[in-house]
Parts: sequence; C-alpha cells; structure tokens
Amino acid sequence: MAAGEFRLRVCYAKAGRARFLSHLEVMRALERSSRRAALPYAVTKGFNPHMKAAFGPALPVGTGGEREYFDVWLTQPVSAAEAFERLCGATPHDLGVIEARYVHEKEPSLTAAATVARYEVAVAGEGVTAELIEKALVTVVGEGRLEVEHKGKTKVFDLARSLPEEVRVRSCGPPVILEVTTRMGQEGSLRPDVLLNEALSRIPCGGAVMSVTRTDILIEEEGVLRRLL
Amino acid sequence: MSSELWPRVEALLSRVERPVRYIDTEWGAHHTPDAEHRSVLLYPDTYEVGQANQGLAILYERLNSTEGLGAERAYLPWLDMAAEMRTAGVPLFSLESCSPVAEFDLFGITLPYELTYTNVLEALDLAGIPLYASDRGETHPLVVGGGPCAYNPEPVARFFDAILIGEGEDAVAEIAGTHLDAKRAGLSRREVLERLAGIQGVYVPGLYRHSAGGVLEPVGSAPPVVTKRVLDDLGGHRPPVCPVVPYMDVVHDRFTVEVLRGCTRGCRFCQAGMVYRPVRERTADDIVRDAMEGLRCTGYDEVSLTSLSSTDHSQLEEVLRRLSSRLDGTGITISLPSLRVDAFSVSMARLASGGRKSGLTFAPEAGTQRLRDVVNKNVTEEDLIETVSRAFSAGWHRVKLYFMIGLPTETDEDIAGIGGLVHRVQRAARQAVPAADRGSVRIGVSVSTFVPKAHTPFQWEGQVPFDEILRRQEVLRSAMPRKGVDLSWHDAEVSFLEGVIARGGREVAGAIERAWRGGARFDAWSEQFDLSIWREAFAAADLDAQAIASHTYERDEQLPWGHISSGVSDRYLWLERDRAIAGTTTADCSFDGCTGCDACGTLGVDIMLGGESRGGR
Repeated sequence: MAAGEFRLRVCYAKAGRARFLSHLEVMRALERSSRRAALPYAVTKGFNPHMKAAFGPALPVGTGGEREYFDVWLTQPVSAAEAFERLCGATPHDLGVIEARYVHEKEPSLTAAATVARYEVAVAGEGVTAELIEKALVTVVGEGRLEVEHKGKTKVFDLARSLPEEVRVRSCGPPVILEVTTRMGQEGSLRPDVLLNEALSRIPCGGAVMSVTRTDILIEEEGVLRRLL
Repeated sequence: MSSELWPRVEALLSRVERPVRYIDTEWGAHHTPDAEHRSVLLYPDTYEVGQANQGLAILYERLNSTEGLGAERAYLPWLDMAAEMRTAGVPLFSLESCSPVAEFDLFGITLPYELTYTNVLEALDLAGIPLYASDRGETHPLVVGGGPCAYNPEPVARFFDAILIGEGEDAVAEIAGTHLDAKRAGLSRREVLERLAGIQGVYVPGLYRHSAGGVLEPVGSAPPVVTKRVLDDLGGHRPPVCPVVPYMDVVHDRFTVEVLRGCTRGCRFCQAGMVYRPVRERTADDIVRDAMEGLRCTGYDEVSLTSLSSTDHSQLEEVLRRLSSRLDGTGITISLPSLRVDAFSVSMARLASGGRKSGLTFAPEAGTQRLRDVVNKNVTEEDLIETVSRAFSAGWHRVKLYFMIGLPTETDEDIAGIGGLVHRVQRAARQAVPAADRGSVRIGVSVSTFVPKAHTPFQWEGQVPFDEILRRQEVLRSAMPRKGVDLSWHDAEVSFLEGVIARGGREVAGAIERAWRGGARFDAWSEQFDLSIWREAFAAADLDAQAIASHTYERDEQLPWGHISSGVSDRYLWLERDRAIAGTTTADCSFDGCTGCDACGTLGVDIMLGGESRGGR
C-alpha cells in the first residue's frame, strides 16, 4: 500500500440470478458499483491505470456465495459506515453488500489468506437419504484419495488434507442439505460437487447435486478457522 | 401480464453457454410491468452483440419515461438456448418481466444489418407470432421495425406491420401512443395500421400494392412516398445517461455520448452519410454534462464520444480538454471511435488516450487519387503519409487502414494502388520511429467488398459480380507487401449476400424465409454463415441472386426503395453520380456552401454547429 491509502474490505453475496455470473463479471460489476458509489478509490500506477482492488477466490458460473469478499484501496478514509451505505445504494440487488470494514495493510491478501471454503450442497433424487450419503462419504473419505479428471488432466486430492472438517448433514430434506468444508490453494481446490458426485456414484439409486452455495471463506491460523471480516 | 416464465427459463440455464445473457437484473434496467401499453424491443442477435445498441437504448428510455407506456428488452437466444426453449416449450421472452413476447402490445425489432434477417424470422417463430404480417390477427402484437436497414425495407416489408424510417426519439412515443389510443377506442388492427400510416416517417407495407408497372403504390390514404423522420435539434433530446449496465462483457461496453448526428463529407459510397443528414451537433456544455452524469450513473471506466465522424465536431478539442481534466486520476478513459485522416485527428487521439496507445484506424478507402476522387473521399496520399508519420512519432505502433474493392470505375491499377500505398505508409511509419523500434511497426489492412447502397449516388450501380471480386482479391494479394502487414478480408460470399439483400425488393422475402427454414441463423457470425443454404433458398424461390445484386438501374427505372425518401433527392444523387464518373469532388456543406442535396428543405431542418443554426435551408 502506498502511504495515505486505506484498505476497505467489502463482504457481499452472489445470490439469486447473480449466481449465473462468472468471476470476471462479478469483479467488473463491483468495480462499477464502487465507482457509482463515488468511493475515493486509488488508481494503480503504470501504463494502464485502473481501480486498485483485489478479489477473493473465484466461484464458478451457477454457484452462489453468501459471504464473498473484495478489497478496494481508498485515498481518503471515508467512514466504513458511509462507504457501506453508498455501496449498498449503488450495487445490484443480487450482489448485495453485507459488510464493509477497513483492514490493516498487513492482513494477508484475499487469495493468499483464504485457504478454506465452506459450502452448502443440496442433493436430491429418488431413494436418496442423508444416511446413505453419509455412509458413502465415509467409504470415499476412508479410501484417502480422490482422482478427478479436469480438462484432460488427472488431479489427485489427499482427502485428509482437503477436508479440514467432517461433512455435516444440515437437513435430511428432501433435498438433503450438507455442509462441506474444503481446502483451497495452489495444490488444488476440491469442489464439493465433485466429492458428492463421487459419493453418489457409490449409491445404487441415482441422486444428483441440485445446487452448491459457498457460505463462507475462512482463514486458517494455527489450526483455527476464522472469518475474513 | 399473465405468465411469468422465469422458473422455466431458470431451469434451462445450467445447460447453456453464458447464462448471463438471459438473467436481466442489470443496473439500470426498468421494470414497468403495469404500463397500460407495453412494448418489447428486440435486437436480432445475441445479448452481447445488441446490448449496447444506442438506438434501442434511446427508445427504451423514451418509452419508459412516457406516461402510460413501458418497454422491455429482448435478444435472440443463442442456438443452444433456442433448442432448449423449443424442447421445453418456452417461447421467446422479454428480459425484465420474463413474459412471452407474444403477450406485448408492440414488438419492436431493429434492423441493424441485412445478415440479421433470418434472426428476425427466428425471433418471430420462437415468439409464436406468424412470420407474415398478413397472417396476424387481432391478438398478436404489432410488429414494428426500424433502424439503418429500414432505408430499403422491401426485403423484410412483408414480415412487419409497420416500419419507421428515420430517427425514433419522438416517433416511437407517437407510434406507441397512437396504438394506446386505438386500443382504448377498441379499433381493429387494420384501423390501427391506417392511423400509424399517418405518422410522419411510418411505412405500413400492407397498405401498398405493386401496380402493373411494378411501382409500389399506396392503397387508401397512405402517403405515396414515406419521408424519413428527423429531429431538428439534438440538444432537446438528452442521450440516456442512466442506461442498462450489463454484467456481460458486451460489444462496446462503455458509456456513450453521441456528440453529433449526420455527416456531410459526402463520400459517395456511404449510406449513413446521406441518410442521417443534416449535421446536428450537441454543444460542448451538453456533451461534458452528459458524459460526467452518465459516468456517475453507470460506473463505467470509459466514455466514448460517438458519431459518424467525431473529429468533425466544431468544439471537439474543448470537449476533450474539459473531460480529460475532470477525469484526471480516475483511471477513466475517453475514446474516439472514428478518426479523419489528418494531423488534427492524431492530436485529438493523443488528448483522448491519456497515454494509452492501442492503435489508430484510418479509412483511405481506395488506393489511387483517381478513385478516391470518384468516391469523394477527400483524402490525399500526402495527408495519409503525414498522419501516419505523426501517429508513429507520437508513440503509436499500430495503425489499421480500411479499403474497399469493387467500387464503381475501379481498375486493376486502383487495386494494385492499395498495395503501393500501404508500402509507402509502412516506409513512412518505420522512418518515424527510433531504429530499434522498427520491427514493432504493424500496419493492419482491412479490405471489404463494396455494396452499392440505397439512397447513395451509387444506388443505381450493380455490385461487381462475385467471381470478379475473387479475381480482384487475387490482384490485391499479389500487390500487398508481405512483411509487417496484417491483411484481412471481409468474406466475399458475405458481401455478395449483403448485396442481394441490400439491393433487392419485396420478392426477396420468400428467399429469406426459405433460408431460415433451411437452418440459416446468425448469418453475421462467420462460423455460422453458410452461403449454400442461401443459394438453395434463392433457387427454391425462383430468384437469380446474382442478377439482383448486379443489376444496374437506368435513371428512369423504378428503384425497389423508390417510395422511401431520406430527404436527399434522387436529382442530387444522380448529379453526384455524374460527378463521380467524371472524377469531380464535392465539398462538405457543413463547412463550405450548400451543395443542394435538398435534405434541409425537404425535412424542414437546419445544420446545427456548436449550438447555432447554420442556415442550410
């Protein structure tokens, strides 16, 4: 951060119809919100000056998020409450702003810091029960590793490392709602639908993942998970 | 409105590419489901191609800000979505309320380009509306066209209940208002159409019949000649400063201020230069005000100062200085889409770019002075060399040059002349940069095939036949320097089809329908374009496509668009044609004297420069 810049962290949702947006589209939309809100944003130096902002890890098209984050650097310390109000009034409803607070410049970057994601996954299908899914998950996790084909490449996930917490049943449904917490990072980010599809393939009755929502992104510090804001 | 389709649309979105095309909820979208009269405005291509269309944005704004009227948007779903919709029985829907298009009072369709016509039919079919106006009943929406291609409406005339010729700002509210009054009075469809035919600029194709001599003549009180609608002063019509801001990365994704309308440089091949007369500028104060307010309201990081020739604006330098000082340090950029070939344009581009130098585009159009004089492109080789040298010394490393082949009177020497000119431009560019940078000098050359357009001095000329165009492309290829030049073509097959449709009459409708039935969709997308479908369609409709494109009309022969007037008289156009063949140029009436095109007098308007009437009438 250059001297005299203030790092505002904004928590927003990617909900409703906005879940059909790509990460790039979300980024552009929120940068436009920040300009409409007339935040005194800092501009990068260099050949192609643009708003100084940084976004958390990408969500795929079709996946919603309840607590997503971006940082924007300001040149004047507008009060966080006022920045929040102005952003709320300048952001499309389905990308609703939830919170805005200043964070210290020493706080690690959103991509480096956010190493754990929590998801809510809805699964449904004839004969699919929470009990059957749990059993299948125990088998899959017990095998220790999961091979995933992605764009012609095979990725191997160490499930003990990829799953810092056990999968929990939130609702027996239908649909069955599960809370899945996975690690993200350079060694690969395990997608919860991939894990659930693997479990469903072990069940004779064919269920399917109906929706995936990322409910939060967390920082892991000395074995403890905490929120980014 | 009865049926909200969103849950059924949503169920399809996980199976299609780019679902963002179909979700509405963008910043700036208007939701007016309770308006007494409801229009849905369609751009006949995908969302990303049509979203930024300025004409539709203006109409959308105008209708939604008029008491009793409301407008929503629609785009043509991409092939995957259209297939899913047909399977699921979901009809074409509007974005805002996700209602079936067939439930609206008025279905407005812009006609931006001849190769979107099969998309118009696809849209009507997806909407469940009969393709031909004569097959529609009392419950169907009024299907109203407009836009650039309306100046030769005949190829699509039978698909439309009415077509607006000219500028829509006032006309659209008048059309919808008239329809609303008629709806309240319980008038029949036929009575509504007769009333619409009484509005200045509105053409109702169903009220015209071919006479024994092949002339389209009105039945009843419709006017024998429909003269375009025009605004006398742009200042009274602010551009939409809070338009819809898309989520998707669309074509022309920026805030736009139209700085002037019309262009009287008088290039003889240019339809826009003839049909948008006279020149009407917005004042510098208005432009700066609207640009700043639009940026505030939309949050865009770029503002574009658009027109047919923005460097012609009499106060452009002032506008750029004021805007760049107000936008300093914000990361927001200003863009100028069209540059004249002169030093002033380069300095304006420098002012606008704020240090970013992506590339400049110039249009010399022809390779020899003789042919540039024929088309009245008042640019000399000296101008071009000097302009390019300035651009490269100012730090640009890339220029793109536009040329046409197939212009009237063109010889192989003119074509080879393009190669020679590009070579000399390249040499000048290399000399203008430091020796170490010479390798990075790039000249882009884009070559299209001339299509003689309605309402231009070349409207009587036939298009050069397809096989001859292929031969001329070879002549050009062998004359073009190879190193450091990126040569690109507008597909000759595409230009040929453009020629057939642009020059055709009412008979072409049957071929368009057959091409659509044969599977032609998104013809403007090169990977979708398939001329063989069209060749079959023309054969099945018993039409000789080459003869339509290449027919040269006599002065006294009836033109297919003879019942449409842009205000510029055929007398003037023919005079310009004679001057073209003689190689005589004509001056720009915005700067020199009146050239007698008759537009101001016929339309009852004046040239407006810097807020003052120039008295062209």
